[in-house]
Amino acid sequence: MKRLKSKSYSIRPFIILMLLAITLFAFVSCNSDDKSKSQSKVQTIDDLSGATIGVQLGTTGDIFVSDYEKEGSTIERFNKAADAVQALKLGKIDCIVIDEAPANAFVEINPELSILEEDFAVEEYAICISKKNPQLREDINSAISQLKQDGTLEKIISNYIGDSTKGQFPYIPKKDVDRSNGTLKVATNATFAPYEYMEGGEIIGIDIDLAKAICDILGMSLKIEDIEFDSIISAVQSGKSDIGLSGMTVTEDRLKSIDFTDSYTTATQVIIINNGSIDTNVSFKEKLHNNFVVDSRWKNITNGLLVTLEISFFAVLIGIVLGFLIAILRSTCDKTGKFKLLNIILKAYLTIIRGTPTMVQLLIIYYVIFASTDINKILVAVIAFGLNSSAYIAEIVRGGIMSIDEGQFEAGRSLGFTYSQTMFYFILPQAFKNVLPALCNEFIVLIKETSISGYIGIMDLTRGGDYIRSRTYEAFFPLIAVALVYLVIVVVLTWLVSKLEKRLKNDEK
Amino acid sequence: MMKNNDVIIRVKDLKKSFNNLDVLKGITTDIRRGEVVVILGPSGCGKSTFLRCLNLLEEPTGGKVFLDGTELTSPSVNINEQREKMMMVFQHFNLFPHLTILENLTIAPRKLKKIPADEINKKAMELLTRVGLQDKAEAYPNQLSGGQKQRVAICRALAMEPEVILFDEPTSALDPEMVGEVLDVMKQLAGSGITMICVTHEMGFAKEVASRVIFFDEGVIAEDDTPDEVFSNPKHPRLKEFLSRVC
Repeated sequence: MKRLKSKSYSIRPFIILMLLAITLFAFVSCNSDDKSKSQSKVQTIDDLSGATIGVQLGTTGDIFVSDYEKEGSTIERFNKAADAVQALKLGKIDCIVIDEAPANAFVEINPELSILEEDFAVEEYAICISKKNPQLREDINSAISQLKQDGTLEKIISNYIGDSTKGQFPYIPKKDVDRSNGTLKVATNATFAPYEYMEGGEIIGIDIDLAKAICDILGMSLKIEDIEFDSIISAVQSGKSDIGLSGMTVTEDRLKSIDFTDSYTTATQVIIINNGSIDTNVSFKEKLHNNFVVDSRWKNITNGLLVTLEISFFAVLIGIVLGFLIAILRSTCDKTGKFKLLNIILKAYLTIIRGTPTMVQLLIIYYVIFASTDINKILVAVIAFGLNSSAYIAEIVRGGIMSIDEGQFEAGRSLGFTYSQTMFYFILPQAFKNVLPALCNEFIVLIKETSISGYIGIMDLTRGGDYIRSRTYEAFFPLIAVALVYLVIVVVLTWLVSKLEKRLKNDEK
Repeated sequence: MMKNNDVIIRVKDLKKSFNNLDVLKGITTDIRRGEVVVILGPSGCGKSTFLRCLNLLEEPTGGKVFLDGTELTSPSVNINEQREKMMMVFQHFNLFPHLTILENLTIAPRKLKKIPADEINKKAMELLTRVGLQDKAEAYPNQLSGGQKQRVAICRALAMEPEVILFDEPTSALDPEMVGEVLDVMKQLAGSGITMICVTHEMGFAKEVASRVIFFDEGVIAEDDTPDEVFSNPKHPRLKEFLSRVC
């Protein structure tokens, strides 16, 4: 009887998983039914008033269409252009205002979309650079004019744009360049084909080739940082990156906080609409293949999973060590009245950490605290999530310590143990057992919270799924796959903890 | 000071107050090696507080306590080292629920006196055999009855080979049918030369086993004499009243 019971216990999580998977896949059919029936109500620029317009957050398109808000339009600001495209395909928005080149790239792979013939606006792209760095700006300006004169810039652009010239002039960095002038750290947002995008796990595009060419002239080596578009300016400002190169237009607002080099190309803002005409009847199997097998896209999930596990593991470690330490110090103060000043500081720490959103903390640690240091982003995430978790663990453990009968303390002390020995041998083991379920809960929250790591450009599990989404314009499979992986992690963790809990309980009964 | 080697605990004008409540109002007494002292008194008279001040579980507000010539109330004393010589048995046993009975007995000698595991395990088993609980060595405290727990608690104290054991109402939390088994163990101990100071309501134990009875009343010692004198010839009116109510 006992054996049977323990066996059914161990397969329970997998039964739950199976049921969930079935439920989720049942949604596939519902999901594909109501897809892209609506034809865009925007057919000319004049239709923009009152329409729902999609843009990428912080782009010039965003700035231009903001004027339409007064005319009753709704502006939907997306983190990635690809998300806007998905929304348009699903009929959630009426049109997208976006740069011409990426618009062409999107329309090419999405037959139901098309570009309006009227241009929305014409603009010039330039490289953004910190106001504190006029020398670098001058150097880059002379490099750009040199590239314009010798025709390199034209070749780089035509390698990506223009049917007859595409792929003809790949820029190959010169090998015999003395790169002793340091590293040029370039911030970009690789979701903006053909200027910058991911292909085969590498960031490529016009801007990237331009950066390579500039580095060849300046005698520097190149480091590309892929971050969110609306973070690029703050990254350059804070010195995290030297320049921002991401199809960026010079605007008055941006000039307030940042300088720009001379323009290197002209681009046009266009409007993409949904014609709703093409029936995309792709089979389930094909979709699965396209989302995970093509270009080894499944690797984005597995690599992201490793990063997520790495961040979670070390953050939990920091959280436990720091959390227990804080809990012990605070409960010592509660019990004996020692460490009064320290207790006040710790209380302030807990208040701040627990009173502000984790994402804001992550951004502050990356862009403010480590602003001018070249620090590994995963380390930043580990520190941010570790500190965050320590605050919650500290209060959980303190509650556990305070719940242990005072008599246990007295017994330990009366035997001759010191305060800390009593804590270590008698109080903490009992407190730990009592708070284990709450700790497990905190670990689950932490693991899922690491999904915001993408905001500082970490390719974690969530962002791995996002990346697939930005290539396949398919929301369902990447998101569900990512959700399932998180679910599996949490179920496995819960199972392990409940086993530990059972073992600790067995000790007494 | 002549009999210093004979005196194990010396208490001088011990005072303790909680906030504005004076619980002990100046206690002075000497306890000699091997004595079995029973402390009696109505509840709230400060007898438990007195006991807890002896091993400094409560910090005295005034006065001095000496153990074997060392002043425990001095700020420079290593109180943890001194407590090893003076164990305490609690009303609510306070066994460690996450450790087995054997571990409850051996953890302090092992960690504090660095006695090798086999040596202390052997000794612990002897102690458990003495109180008839040798087959409970691997059990956990929650599996034991109250009387068994208290016998284990006494063994835990004995495993440290102390010179003094303080008993803080050791039978008050027990069901009546379990009181006997704990008192039997305490009677056994009384003959062994170990110094015992017991706060208890067991008059039978006091009459039969104690070498000295101290009666506390309102934070002071009201009477301090042999059990014969105390029970057959009480002098203090409060003691007379107390005895007439409990006997």
